[in-house]
Amino acid sequence: MPFEPKEPQKEIKYSEMRIYTDEELNNYTEEELKNFKIKHDIPDLEELEKGPWPSFVSDAKQGALHRRKLADDRMLIDRDVIEDMLGQLQVSFDEGETHWKHGGIVGVFGYGGGVIGRYSDLPEKYPSIAHFHTIRVNQPASKFYNTDFLRTVCDMWEYRGSGLMNLHGSTGDMVLLGTTTEQLEPIFFELTHELGQDIGGSGSNLRTPSCCIGKARCEYALYDTQALCYELTQYYQDELHRPAFPYKFKFKFDGCPNGCVASIARSDMSFIGTWRDDIRIDQEAVKAYVAGEYVPNAGAHAGRDWGKFDIQKEVIDLCPSKCMAYEDGELKIDNKECVRCMHCINVMPRALKPGKDTGVSILLGAKAPILEGAQMATLIVPFMKAEPPYDNIKEFIEKVWEFWMEEGKNRERLGELMQRFGLPKFLEIIGVPPAPHMVKTPRENPYIFWKEEDVPGGWSRDIKDYRARHKR
Amino acid sequence: MEDIKKAIVEFAESSKKTKFYFKDIEKAVQKVIPDAKMREIKKACTALINDGTLIYFSTGSSTMYGLKGRGMTEDPE
Ligand code: SF4
Ligand code: SF4
Repeated sequence: MPFEPKEPQKEIKYSEMRIYTDEELNNYTEEELKNFKIKHDIPDLEELEKGPWPSFVSDAKQGALHRRKLADDRMLIDRDVIEDMLGQLQVSFDEGETHWKHGGIVGVFGYGGGVIGRYSDLPEKYPSIAHFHTIRVNQPASKFYNTDFLRTVCDMWEYRGSGLMNLHGSTGDMVLLGTTTEQLEPIFFELTHELGQDIGGSGSNLRTPSCCIGKARCEYALYDTQALCYELTQYYQDELHRPAFPYKFKFKFDGCPNGCVASIARSDMSFIGTWRDDIRIDQEAVKAYVAGEYVPNAGAHAGRDWGKFDIQKEVIDLCPSKCMAYEDGELKIDNKECVRCMHCINVMPRALKPGKDTGVSILLGAKAPILEGAQMATLIVPFMKAEPPYDNIKEFIEKVWEFWMEEGKNRERLGELMQRFGLPKFLEIIGVPPAPHMVKTPRENPYIFWKEEDVPGGWSRDIKDYRARHKR
Repeated sequence: MEDIKKAIVEFAESSKKTKFYFKDIEKAVQKVIPDAKMREIKKACTALINDGTLIYFSTGSSTMYGLKGRGMTEDPE
């Protein structure tokens, strides 16, 4: 199905919105960069430049030199922001303490998220970063950008902010680092009104949803991650921009169990593509892999000689549920034991494909270790269809939110609330029947207990009948 | 809606604190108006934000509400 935007898309005239010329963007030479010293001594930061990886210190120095050479009227906040940011960071290295103050009432009108107030607590020494607020920009599904768009955002940010940005850490958003309070509304206007670009989530709200590349490029995608991500982002705009949750809440969407956005570890509600029917096997292609005609793993590990492909050693023996066999030139899979780990499919993609009855598994409660320890998500919905308009998924989401908003304490993540209530109680509240899939080792884990109403006859017994058979 | 807005403002004015979690506002409103629904209270908060009576305060990870001009300054302390 072709993409249907929710709102009419106006044509964006990027060329009219660009600010800098190519000469202004490339305004220093390699030689100048080599000899460039920022105005503060930063010996420890310069140590970081010596390692084998690209260093943010080197990147920041390029930004600092670039700003030094721009004309005065070509930027709206202090020229020295990057140099002062590095200078203050060196102080933190010296003292082992941060000098950023958290929080504040900065924001843009009507939105409770997307702008994060940050202030220096050494404003006399580093005046240009007295205010150094962060703006989160809602990334497009799968992070596909038009380069004109990126250049325009970069120009705007150089002009109205520090020019420093980081693209796509764990939050997903494009993160613009460092501007003053006065610049927030103009930036918001330019992003939303000129570029058709919303800002993302922060604080106690729905955070910017993010998805894997999905059907756009990946044949493994078992549902349209981009479509679901876009739909829920649009449908839950109020939750995204007007925070009223007990704490943050994240959705992430993986098209298959390979989990390229690691939703299982990084989101309160993780959607992972899966299938209900059998893995499709092309026996001829299996034979071709065994004969060495096709490279295993689509050549992904071809950098070194691993010897001849051994289907027993590399596939059958590594199946986590030991449900495969290769006998007399035929591959067999006991599908009811398969846990959809994707291993066999990843190794032999030309021979094996997931089934055709596809949908999502929904897992809840992953989080980073801020309060309690870090936690992976727990499988709650083993299978659900994932097709527009996704009413079944929305209904489930709202049931979970209702419970969390009712019972969750201030700053309690969904995963912590689930732990506090216990899985059996939680399942009962959201109306999902217990299933062995929810328990890691179902035969050993007494996670799910029988209740009296689940047992024919309940707990009571006829004592006379019992005594007839058992001496006192 | 108007009585919920009134209850929110009264709570915010009378409290010793200057910043409130949504949950605290919800509880305070339900004390005065027991059948007020969470969604209605949220809508009332949004209306008060939009008319400038309330403002958001955010640390980046969690968000609170406060009365504009009452103990809430741009300075995070
Ligand atoms: S999670 Fe699966 S579907 Fe999505 S990009 Fe990765 S391999 Fe492809
Ligand atoms: S997907 Fe994983 S569990 Fe299923 S048959 Fe293949 S290797 Fe085994």
